[in-house]
Amino acid sequence: MVGKDCVAIACDLRLGSQSLGVSNNFEKVFQYGHVFMGLTGLASDVLTVHENFRMKTNLYKMREEREIEPESMANLVSTSLYEKRFGPWFVGPIVAGINSKSGKPFVCAFDFIGCIDYAKDFVVSGTAADQLYGMCEGLYEPNLEPEDLFETISQALLNAADRDALSGWGAVVYVITKDKVTKRYLKSRQD
Amino acid sequence: MSTLASEYSNEVTHDVIEHRFNPYSDNGGTILGIAGEDFAVLAGDTRHTTGYSINSRYEPKVFNIGDDLLLTANGFQADGTALIKNFKNQLIQYHFNNDNKKMSIESSARLIQHLLYGKRFFPYYVHTILAGLDSEGKGSIYSFDPVGSYEREQCRAGGAAASLIMPFLDNQVNFKNQLDPETGNKKQLKYLKLEEVVELVRDAFSSATERHIHVGDGLEILIVTKEGVRTEYYPLKRD
Amino acid sequence: MFLTRSEYDRGVSTFSPEGRLFQVEYSLEAIKLGSTAIGICTSEGVILGVEKRVTSSLLESDSIEKIMEIDKHIGCAMSGLTADARSMIDHARVTSVQHDLYYHEEIGVETLTQSVCDLALRFGEGASGEKRLMSRPFGVALLIAGYDKDKGPQLYHAEPSGTFYKYDAKAIGSGSEGAQAELQNEYHKSLTLQDAELLALKVLKQVMEEKLDSSNAQLASVTKENGFRVYDDDEIAKVIATLKEQEKDEEGVDTEE
Repeated sequence: MVGKDCVAIACDLRLGSQSLGVSNNFEKVFQYGHVFMGLTGLASDVLTVHENFRMKTNLYKMREEREIEPESMANLVSTSLYEKRFGPWFVGPIVAGINSKSGKPFVCAFDFIGCIDYAKDFVVSGTAADQLYGMCEGLYEPNLEPEDLFETISQALLNAADRDALSGWGAVVYVITKDKVTKRYLKSRQD
Repeated sequence: MSTLASEYSNEVTHDVIEHRFNPYSDNGGTILGIAGEDFAVLAGDTRHTTGYSINSRYEPKVFNIGDDLLLTANGFQADGTALIKNFKNQLIQYHFNNDNKKMSIESSARLIQHLLYGKRFFPYYVHTILAGLDSEGKGSIYSFDPVGSYEREQCRAGGAAASLIMPFLDNQVNFKNQLDPETGNKKQLKYLKLEEVVELVRDAFSSATERHIHVGDGLEILIVTKEGVRTEYYPLKRD
Repeated sequence: MFLTRSEYDRGVSTFSPEGRLFQVEYSLEAIKLGSTAIGICTSEGVILGVEKRVTSSLLESDSIEKIMEIDKHIGCAMSGLTADARSMIDHARVTSVQHDLYYHEEIGVETLTQSVCDLALRFGEGASGEKRLMSRPFGVALLIAGYDKDKGPQLYHAEPSGTFYKYDAKAIGSGSEGAQAELQNEYHKSLTLQDAELLALKVLKQVMEEKLDSSNAQLASVTKENGFRVYDDDEIAKVIATLKEQEKDEEGVDTEE
């Protein structure tokens, strides 16, 4: 979610196998330098894709001698997913971050074969996508300060997850400004 | 069929072509009911669709069915109107048999359950919401699944964009996941004013219109108070 | 008398040239042979009282049931061929619970009475193809007492002819003529429930051949608070005792004058 000179990215903590809850500390947001990526979908692919991008962003860093920017990350994710066009990773990634040069906030989402969905305001992914769209459309307003952005994204995620049987079991919220990243764990319903 | 000539090349073969009639379709749209302290609102968009086609931009689906009750049945429109017509007939019968007694919302809810369950094995393909005032004059919403399971609630969204609107309602009507900034305890429940509720309904529908292709064109809100029923209309995006 | 009626009193659904249905009229006669039953409606509730004919000292008087519950808020007293009342009460009970099932509310007393009366005419085929249920009209009349939220306490008299009327006080059965005249004299709108208990027994006592006691009379009430309730022997005995005292007092006043 985009705010005024800030972005936020959040995920729930549930890992499940159909209706069976397996773990309540499965974080789905990963950090690559100052770029963040959330991954929903098949857990094994989530982890593998994450490791893959850890490798790719590290190689990028060595070659370019700088951290990857969100815009470049988006294209990297897109091409990487499309490479596997006919044997895809079953993941629904979102990317968020602030461009370290321009200071511009950036968010985007992808389908599982890499089509990029750029957005000015917010992107969502996962089993509670419908609920998240409803919440975000209802609560979001442009140019929120970091603290207000935190409240908005938290309320959106919490209430959406509560209406989805496959989401919940705790949540993590990152609020990212140009020079600071705050990570907060949210208390939520445990059912 | 074979192109090779054979002893049997003049034999006519009959491949059975199977036709299957699907008695149901989905006409999109979404509905929303909220109960206040001394009022209830029942709202629905006015777009009517099949698949990707828009059949009508103004096809009302929330009805004042008499006795200060509002009823809507969203999903397959033919079933929805059949249910409502059926209910209206039953209501007339009830008036005949019970000395013109006004049917309470509790009785209406139970009757609707039986109308729906009566078609348990060929159901009305609808999500039904009933709104009115209860015997104490308090706002009241009843919602039904397609086969008649029902519950009284403070608010309920139904239809195509129910999954978008419902968590928003949890948050804004029942203050779910909200804390009191002073005490840090759960935010105290309170009844919303009619103006607040209408604003909430309009927000919910413009949000749903933004993200759902089967929702849009117009929003019709029916409001029931002790004074009677009132209708409001607001345009929605037509794209 | 029977000469003029011959031929036309055989079929239950054949009018006589004078426009009468004799079998229905005869069924009304059957009620006049039955034991007396009384109903009194007050603003506090309705009282039902019946006479029980204990024909033998070997007969268990408890087994004579002439007041029955239809639902929590409705009861009825009967006179005539009481066996016929079973199917009527059965129907009434089904109608009542069905109303609760379909509408989640107590059925209105008038609505219930109407449904019982619908059954009364089923000795013939219905206009819309309903089956003929019975070979003859009912030989029993009911006093239906009930309480509902809309109209409060009510008393109805349902006849085998399928008609029903609402009454403040009504007597049916063998002693009905005398009893009705007495009710006419004694009834007034401000009667309390206790007054009605006493009046019911007093009137019964006057028209009964046997001496009134707790085993040959039955009382029941329908009130907002307690719904339908049949009085047990002790309660009836208590009312009889009060009645006796009242009579004694009145005699005393009489002698003083």
